[in-house]
Amino acid sequence: MLNFTIRRLIQIPLVMLVLSVIVIGLTQLLSPEQRAAPYIRSEQQAARLEQIITERGLRDPFPVQYGRWFSNTIRGDLGFSKASGKDVIPTIQERLPNTIELTLVTALPILLLSIWLGTLSALHKDKLLDQILRVLVVFGYSLPTFVLGIVLLAVFYAYLGWLPGAGQLEIINQFAVGDLRRYTGMMSIDAALNGRWDIAWDALRHMILPAVTLMIVLSANLVKVMRNSMLEVLTSDYVRTARAKGLSSRVVNGKHARRNALLPIVTLGGFLVIGLLGGSIITETIFAYPGIGQWFVQSALQLDIAGVLGFTLLSALLVVVMSTAVDILYGVIDPRVRFH
Amino acid sequence: MKKLVTLSSLLVISAALAASPADTLVIQSAADVPTMDPGVTYDTSSSALVDNMYETLLTYDGASLTKLVPQLATKWTVSNGGKTYTFDLRKGVKFHSGATMTCADAEYTIERNLVTNSGASGNWFIAESLTGSQSNAADDKSITWAKIDKSVECNNAGQLVFTLPAVDPAFLAKLAYTGQAIVEKAYSAKIGEWDGTEATWKDWIGKDLTGSNLSKQPNGTGPYRLVRADANNHLFQAFDGYWGEKPSIKNVIRQKVPELAARQQALLRGDADIIEGGGRSVDEAQIKGKPGVTWVDGLPNTTSTAIFMNEKIQGKGNSLLGSGKLDGKGIPANFFSDVNVRRGFSYAFDYDGYIKDVQKGQGMQRTMLMPDSFPGYDPKVKKYTFDPAKATEYFKRAWGGQVWKNGFTLTANYRANSVGAQTAMEILKKNIESLNPKFRVNIQSKQWSEMLADSKKGEEAMILIGWAPDYADADNFMYTFYASDGYYSPRANWKDASVDKWLKQARSTVNVAERNRLYSLIGNRAYEQAPFILVPAPVNYTFQSSRLSGAPITKAGFNPMTSLNWKDLSKK
Repeated sequence: MLNFTIRRLIQIPLVMLVLSVIVIGLTQLLSPEQRAAPYIRSEQQAARLEQIITERGLRDPFPVQYGRWFSNTIRGDLGFSKASGKDVIPTIQERLPNTIELTLVTALPILLLSIWLGTLSALHKDKLLDQILRVLVVFGYSLPTFVLGIVLLAVFYAYLGWLPGAGQLEIINQFAVGDLRRYTGMMSIDAALNGRWDIAWDALRHMILPAVTLMIVLSANLVKVMRNSMLEVLTSDYVRTARAKGLSSRVVNGKHARRNALLPIVTLGGFLVIGLLGGSIITETIFAYPGIGQWFVQSALQLDIAGVLGFTLLSALLVVVMSTAVDILYGVIDPRVRFH
Repeated sequence: MKKLVTLSSLLVISAALAASPADTLVIQSAADVPTMDPGVTYDTSSSALVDNMYETLLTYDGASLTKLVPQLATKWTVSNGGKTYTFDLRKGVKFHSGATMTCADAEYTIERNLVTNSGASGNWFIAESLTGSQSNAADDKSITWAKIDKSVECNNAGQLVFTLPAVDPAFLAKLAYTGQAIVEKAYSAKIGEWDGTEATWKDWIGKDLTGSNLSKQPNGTGPYRLVRADANNHLFQAFDGYWGEKPSIKNVIRQKVPELAARQQALLRGDADIIEGGGRSVDEAQIKGKPGVTWVDGLPNTTSTAIFMNEKIQGKGNSLLGSGKLDGKGIPANFFSDVNVRRGFSYAFDYDGYIKDVQKGQGMQRTMLMPDSFPGYDPKVKKYTFDPAKATEYFKRAWGGQVWKNGFTLTANYRANSVGAQTAMEILKKNIESLNPKFRVNIQSKQWSEMLADSKKGEEAMILIGWAPDYADADNFMYTFYASDGYYSPRANWKDASVDKWLKQARSTVNVAERNRLYSLIGNRAYEQAPFILVPAPVNYTFQSSRLSGAPITKAGFNPMTSLNWKDLSKK
């Protein structure tokens, strides 16, 4: 287990190195003029196109450009992200906790809901409840996130006025936040630790609509997988044996069947968390939620190479770390899995 | 999607449920804020914030585009035949840091702009006035420390003195530009910006200030100071030490909300006071007339747009030329060098149709490629009209009759995702092709970055591009479009010796009447020669929460050259 973990950790810098070469290499497919375009917002600036290209070394050979980026990165300088108006590292420090906070609020409900509904669906196979759940799964699976987000915003914010609109906090609290001592970077937790329960509640209220959007869209696939996995387990020999021994349905389904049916959910759940930590691009954009997903989409749209690279490296780190965690968790759930 | 947005708008209950506090202005925009350093501010979303934190020596008087009034200066005199400007500076002005503004700060500001003068900044035009070159010292070896240092100095009386190498009638207007807002020397040096000395100036030549320390920690003399900037919010508070009248709005928050539907709902619910809209057709359909929203229309527009007809299309084997001959399958590289071709095209554009369909009736056909609100604009200069008969007449004359006989195939590009540009090109294509079955105009979209590069090299046959003002002076437009060494010259390759002469004369005299006369001459000459098709200019509009009031958001007080001054607003 320890060797396996160490091997995985060693992979991180290698993965990042390869990724950085690929991303910077891909940018070289664009002409210097195209790479200079993001720095030009008007025809006035376009008049200085050549100067901008020269100043940024966009005509330098690829090894020179990569070397420049690499030497800066080694010194802890990932560059300036045009999309955020800040350096990459402070941008990640500012936005990643927001994304983690949204993940915390979203991931566990998604997993619990999916396990519960998937189990329910399997246990009532082909009955009305199963049919309803399957229709809902198809609905959730096929519904575009941006449509769902805008509908929820229109209904619960614009029409009913029950929940706040886009953003992270009410205006009045935006000004109060400056006085908070930050511990985690996560608004609701930091506000609670400062005794500002009003701000904590406000931050949580602002997360309801994005979280519900993500829950509806992301639960669908997991419910389907859980249902199929559960159906497979329910027809296995050991479940039949457990039933023959006279164990109650609750014990058979809950203790024996569901635990084994969870294995694919653990894998998918890991990817779900990786995806959420990587920033929910559409949801964060619709709800103006200041996570890294929103930053990435802005960086990509603006060809903000420093931003795209910073995000890519962060994502790579998250993937390696989370997939390692998932593999370890696998071993915990299923003792048959061994690491060599 | 559009239906959903409309539905969401219809679902909105009365906006009387005003949610944002009366002492707080809430602005929502999709755009990011690239910088808060005035030294590199050259875009509208940055200017919108910088203009409220920083101040320039002088500014526009209300809605006037011609009258400049003191701001951080109290008065100025012009001497030495228009080549020396001496400014008295306002006393007792405080920076947000608490320091008092001195002449050294003003001198440092201008010198910093001349030294850095990066490609991304708008410092090229102040450099042109003060050093005689648009470039910085890295690109132009004639720019020395001595030249920069001598161009702006503080005299013993504490006055700021500018010494120009040549007369520049637009110099004062250039000083009113955001980029010349005054920064504090000591504070800037302390946080790691240039220290203002000759010993270090070379390290700062061409330095891009976009992500500078000053951008991260702005410090101006303006009515609002930055309290905090996080991922999506910029928070400002009225500056207690402000020298001028205290603003009635105490707090301002500028939020980045990328989704239009979310911004619209925030405005209609009263959570936002000002939002970035979605263009006239969207805003008229979904915002105009809604309760709680004030719509102000008929505002001046200061952009100019033209369809360029390149008289010397560059690029070996340029695919836009087709066969490269007048054989019906292409065009020669000098196709547009015949004035009859250009006139034919000019008469084939449906100006009124464009105003009606694209601009929803809110457009104006100008006589010259400059804003009609600028001094120098002559409404009496003749305009082309949509006249297929005249277009036919000129095409029959073109190239000794070969154009009409053989026809042509022309490929024109427009900027991708620009509905206005696409529609204009489609109108032109339809009308040209209806004149003669042998006429063919292919139009295709092209990424802006590619267009930038290709048009600069003169490789575009026909493109539609516009210009927005840096400063309120006719020269900023006229020279750009019409001069054979102007910025847009490679896109048209039109050269007229008289026009070049008149343009140079106009930029070297401060006599307003004489300049106006020269610009009229240029306008008339351009009408005769038809180097461009003048695309009608849209009429501007604005909308905001009805809780807001103030001169800048009225038709009488709106100034297209300045950002919205929050200090002139009040909210109930």
